[in-house]
Amino acid sequence: MRRGVSGFIREPRTITLIILVVISLAAISTLGIPQGLDLKGGSIIQIQLEKPVDSATMNTITSVLDKRLNIFGVKDVKVRASGNQNIIIEIAGVKPEEVAKIVGSPGKFEAKIDNKTVLTGADIVSVQSPIIRGNQWEVPFRISTDSAKRFAEAAEGKAGAPVDMYLDDRLITSPEISPDVAAGKPVTDVAITGAESTRESAELKAKEVETLLKSGSLPVKVKIVGVSSVSAELGGEFAKGALIAGLLAIIAIIIILVARYRTPILVLPIFFTTLAELILILGVAAIIRWNIDLAAIAGILAAIGTGVDDQIIITDEVLGEEKVKRRRRRFRIREAFFIIFASAGTLIAAMLPLAYVGFARGATGIGMLAGFAFTTVLGVLIGVFITRPVYAKFMEYIIK
Amino acid sequence: MKRKLLESYKLLIIIPLIITLLSLGILVTHGLEESVDLKGGSITELTLEKKMDQTELKAFIQEKLKIKDVNVISIKGNDATVQMGSDIQVDEFARALEGTAKIKSYRSVGPILGKEAMNQIYWAVGFAFLFMSITVLIVFRNLVPSLAVILAAACDIIIALGGMSLFKVPLSLASIGAILMLIGYSVDTDILLTTRVLKQRKGKITERAIGAIKTGLTMSASAIASMSALYLVTVFLIPEAEVLSNIAAVLIIGLSADILTTWLMNLGILRWYLEAKS
Repeated sequence: MRRGVSGFIREPRTITLIILVVISLAAISTLGIPQGLDLKGGSIIQIQLEKPVDSATMNTITSVLDKRLNIFGVKDVKVRASGNQNIIIEIAGVKPEEVAKIVGSPGKFEAKIDNKTVLTGADIVSVQSPIIRGNQWEVPFRISTDSAKRFAEAAEGKAGAPVDMYLDDRLITSPEISPDVAAGKPVTDVAITGAESTRESAELKAKEVETLLKSGSLPVKVKIVGVSSVSAELGGEFAKGALIAGLLAIIAIIIILVARYRTPILVLPIFFTTLAELILILGVAAIIRWNIDLAAIAGILAAIGTGVDDQIIITDEVLGEEKVKRRRRRFRIREAFFIIFASAGTLIAAMLPLAYVGFARGATGIGMLAGFAFTTVLGVLIGVFITRPVYAKFMEYIIK
Repeated sequence: MKRKLLESYKLLIIIPLIITLLSLGILVTHGLEESVDLKGGSITELTLEKKMDQTELKAFIQEKLKIKDVNVISIKGNDATVQMGSDIQVDEFARALEGTAKIKSYRSVGPILGKEAMNQIYWAVGFAFLFMSITVLIVFRNLVPSLAVILAAACDIIIALGGMSLFKVPLSLASIGAILMLIGYSVDTDILLTTRVLKQRKGKITERAIGAIKTGLTMSASAIASMSALYLVTVFLIPEAEVLSNIAAVLIIGLSADILTTWLMNLGILRWYLEAKS
């Protein structure tokens, strides 16, 4: 028995597993497990564009939406494209109603002189990329001829006076009227200019103004097609409930195993292998910042469930009939692994289409389930290549 | 007794087949409920700020939002679950409820999105089944035993769907996830059985089968036990976490069905095949 234990501990696979578990525990405790919105509370808003767009337009739209949400003080927002027609907005807090308002309205751009509106978003024909010279910045944009005339009339004789630019009634910037325009000359190519203390901040500011000008009118109409929102309180209940469910599930499995094998030396290793698997999955999630949400929890349960199945197969192969010699035992474990690899292969094959939909299409529709598929596949791979072989070694060395 | 039962295997194949046909019948006549994910609409959890019963709340929302299709699913203490047919804009809804209730969670899916999800589901499940079948064929390289495994998995899915129809588990993203999980789980025991019976040289077929049954039943029992734990916890402690209770319910039905399809049907076909071959 003692020789068995030391032989088992010295197995490279065992050492690897121990090291990986330690690394995972360290990762979990230092980095924390990233929680999905349904566990920590938050909202997901799905937006659909009127028609599919190319990636450049998509980038403009996402950055405009991002900027606008930031301007309106919605914190912790993530705006990302999903395919070529959908956009997903994730917010940490539960403010879908606020976001719906900001996103849903077309965005009102106004330029005022002496509190009188002289330009609106409708007057802007195009916005060019910003020009940076040292710490000076300039965002050129073009307005229609009619608007240029109107602007020139309003600005006549007011060189140096501020033009107040508003986005949805919020003052964003107040550039001064140039002498040219003040002389009453209509100009269609105008620019907002300014200076910052450093080149970096000038770039940042210019980018912001550019986005603002563009956001006055999104290139495509948008519509909110889906909202999913969970309060932090309910998310906490979910997380707690999932934990309790997980623990009870493990206890239920142990009861079945005790009833079948009636000895701790067989049941405890299965328990520890399962625990190691759980720690490794969560460790990977912590390191790659993979969000654990309810779907991912279901995936973990699926992976652990098949893990227990596999260990039962290994146990029964080894204990199967009459006592077998060690060499024969190795052969039987190989047979068990044939079954294990075959079933892991079918499970992964079944999950692939789901993972594909998720990665190709983003989190719209059943893309949400991609998290489930990914976690299942991850768990099965960890199990098949790391934890189950160690369990097999344990059976080989220690069980008499 | 066990051995005797095992000898009349040809007859036993019929039992899972009958259950599958019954499930198919239920499925066709009763159909499946679709969740908000798929048919579009809104579902929300509210914290009521004053006492209200189901009819009051329903009338209140109907009047405030001027919509007909409102269904107050449950009220427990201050917590209410409400489902609405159309995708109500959430800001509109929050304004309408001001002073009466707070939104704890809100989910709305536009009809376009729901239709798209439904479409993706057909493809995902179809391809999952196809990929699983190909893997099984590659693993065994033997037509009849492979087809037996694939047939068993198909029956498991149909029985699980029939069970969903019977117990009113809605078709949702979560239950589809469970169906896919079931493909993986159910094939596990079938592969165990096929490998043991086809590959092991020692012992009679009946003996090998009994060994496999013992292992397989332990596997199924532990999976069903863990899913039952999940189901009970979610139903009693966190009824809002429907995702988890739906998954558990579907798997409990499917895994129970799998016991029959594996050990009565798949085993029966295998033995019949071996007998015909020798």
